[in-house]
Amino acid sequence: MCRAGRFALVAVAMAGLFGCGRDVERSRPRVALVLKTLNSPFFIDLQKGAEAAAQRLDVALVVQAAEREMDVEKQMQIIENLVQTGVDVLCVVPSGSREIVPAIAKAQRGGIPVVIVDERLDEATAREAGVRPATFVGSDNVDGGRLAGRHLAEVTGGRANVAVLEGIPGHESGDARLRGFREAIAVAPGIRVVASQTANWERDQGFTVFQNLLQAHPEIDAVFACNDVMALGAVEAIAASGKTGRVRVVGFDAVDDARRAIAAGTMDASVAQYPSEMGRLAVESAVRLIRGETVPAEQPTRVGLVTRENVGALR
Amino acid sequence: MITSIGRRQLGTLAGLAGLCALLTVLTPHFLTVSNLLNITEQTTINAVIAVGMTFVILSGGIDLSVGSLVALSGIVLGSALQLHLPLPVAILLGLLTGAACGLVNGVLITRGRLPPFIATLGMMSMARGAALLYTDGRPISGFEEGFRVLSTGRPLMIPSPVLLMAGVYLAAHFVLTRTIFGRYVYAIGGNEEATRLSGVRVGYYKTQVYVLSGVTSAVAAVTLTARLNSAQPIAGIMYELDAIAATVIGGTSLMGGSGTLVGTLIGALIMGVLRNGLNLIGISSFLQQVVIGAVIIAAVLLDSTLSARAASARAKRTAANAAA
Repeated sequence: MCRAGRFALVAVAMAGLFGCGRDVERSRPRVALVLKTLNSPFFIDLQKGAEAAAQRLDVALVVQAAEREMDVEKQMQIIENLVQTGVDVLCVVPSGSREIVPAIAKAQRGGIPVVIVDERLDEATAREAGVRPATFVGSDNVDGGRLAGRHLAEVTGGRANVAVLEGIPGHESGDARLRGFREAIAVAPGIRVVASQTANWERDQGFTVFQNLLQAHPEIDAVFACNDVMALGAVEAIAASGKTGRVRVVGFDAVDDARRAIAAGTMDASVAQYPSEMGRLAVESAVRLIRGETVPAEQPTRVGLVTRENVGALR
Repeated sequence: MITSIGRRQLGTLAGLAGLCALLTVLTPHFLTVSNLLNITEQTTINAVIAVGMTFVILSGGIDLSVGSLVALSGIVLGSALQLHLPLPVAILLGLLTGAACGLVNGVLITRGRLPPFIATLGMMSMARGAALLYTDGRPISGFEEGFRVLSTGRPLMIPSPVLLMAGVYLAAHFVLTRTIFGRYVYAIGGNEEATRLSGVRVGYYKTQVYVLSGVTSAVAAVTLTARLNSAQPIAGIMYELDAIAATVIGGTSLMGGSGTLVGTLIGALIMGVLRNGLNLIGISSFLQQVVIGAVIIAAVLLDSTLSARAASARAKRTAANAAA
C-alpha cells in the first residue's frame, strides 16, 4: 500500500516535469527536426534558424537529438518514436549515413516526407532500401574542402607538411571535405600530408591526437581539421608545445570560438557553413511539402572562407 | 525470501504501470499497438545485455566491458557475413567472440584476483580498441536480406528481436532459478567465503558468469547489427551503464545475492518506456537526461528505504516476541 503511494508521488512529480514539454496543439502543422546532438554550436545555430523559420511560418517544431553524437541507434529510436506521433514532416541530420536508412524507410512507409539536412544518406544503401528523401539541404562539403586546400596552398607558398584531423569515419560530410581538400592540394606538389588521423569530431580528441602527431612529426607546420571543434583542440595542443604561430590551423564550420581564434591569430582560417540557413531552408521545405508543393531534390547552402581579413565583417 | 522477492517485483511493476498510465494520459500516441511493439523492440538490446549483467551483479561483480563487447562481436559477425560465411556460422563466431572475451574477464578476476571493476574496465578498452583496429575505424555495412530478417522480420506479427528477447529471458530465468549454477550465483553473491567453505568451486562458477555476460552482449550485437544493417566499431558506447541501470531499477542489489531477471526485464522496460514517452511528448533532449537520471535514483532510493524499513520491522517483531 505504502509502496503504491510512493510511486504515485513519483508519478505526480514526473507529471510536473512532463508538463513543461507537453505539446498538444493539433491545429498547426507539426515538423520534427532530429539533430545529431544538441551540445555543439553548429547544431544550436541550425536549431535557431529552424525555430525562427517555424515561428515565421506558424508551424509547431519539435527538436530532438541523441545524448551522444555517434549513437545512431538512439537517433533511430527517436525517429521511430516521432513517427508514432504522426508528425507531418521529418527533418533529419543523420548520425550515420548508412545506419539511419532503415529508420528513414519506416518514416517513409508511414507516409511522412523526409528532409535530409547537412549529412547525406549513403546513396547505395538508400537505393537498396527504396528510400527517397524529399530533398537534401546542406553545404557543398567538397567545395568547402577545396576552399580550405586552396587557401593553405596559397598562404604557405605551396610548401607545407600538413596533418589532417578527420571526422568520424563513415560520416559523408567529413569524407567529402577531405576529398575536396586533397583535390585542391594535389595541384601543389610541395604540400605533403604527413599524417591523417581521426579525432572523432571532438575537441579533447583533437587535442590529444594532434599532440601525438606533433610528437611523431615535429616538421608539421599546418593542420587541416574537418571541423572547428577538432581544430580548436589542435590549437590548444600547439600552444601546449609552445609552437603557437608556427603551425597554421584551418578548420571547418567557422563556429564562434573559431572566429575568435582567427581574430586572435591562433587559427588561420575556417570554412564557414551557414547552419542557421540550413535550419531555415529545412523548415521552409517542410512547409512547402505540407502544402503539396514540389521542392528541388538538392538545395545547397553557401560556404565561404573566414580569415583574419574578413572575420569581423562576416555575419 | 521468495515472497520478499515477489513483493519487490510487484513494486517495480507498479512503477512501470504508473509510468504507462501517466503517458497514456499525457499523449494519445503512447497506448497504441504499434507504439508498444516499438518500445519492446527498442528495449531488446538493453534488456538482453542486462541479462548477463544481472548474473554478474547477482554474483557480487560488475561488467563494464559489455558495450565494447557488443561492438567487437558485431564486427566479427559483420566481417564473417561479408566473407559470405553461412549465417549460423557467422552468428556462432560472433557469440564465440563474446564468450572468449568474457572468459578472459572471468579468468582475470578469479585466477588473477583482479577486482571485477578493473578487469572489465581493461577489457572495455581492449575490446573497443580491437574493434577499431580491425575495421580501421570504419563501419562494415550492407548485409543480405536473410540476416536483416533478424531485425525486420515479423513472425506472428511480433518483431523478431522481441521474440529473441523473450527466448533469452525464458532460458536465462530457467538457468537462474532451476539449475545448480543459478543457485550458486546467488550463494556466491550472498556470501562468497561461506560458499567457498561449503565446497563450491567458486572460481569456476564466477568465470562462467562472465562468459554468460559476454554471450548475451554478443546476442545483443546480432540484433543491433541487423537493426542498423551495419556493424560499427563505435557501437555500444556506454551501454554498460544502461544495462546496470536496468538491473538496479529492477531491484537487484549491487552488493550481490538478491534480485531477479523478471525485475531486470521490468527495469529495462521502464527505461525504454521513459525514453519513448519523453520523445513522444517532445521534451527537450537535455531535460530527458535529467529525468532518466532522476528515475534511476528514485527507484533505488525507494528500494533501499523500503528494505531498510522491512528489516527494522522484522527486528521489532523479533524483539517483541523475545519480550513476550
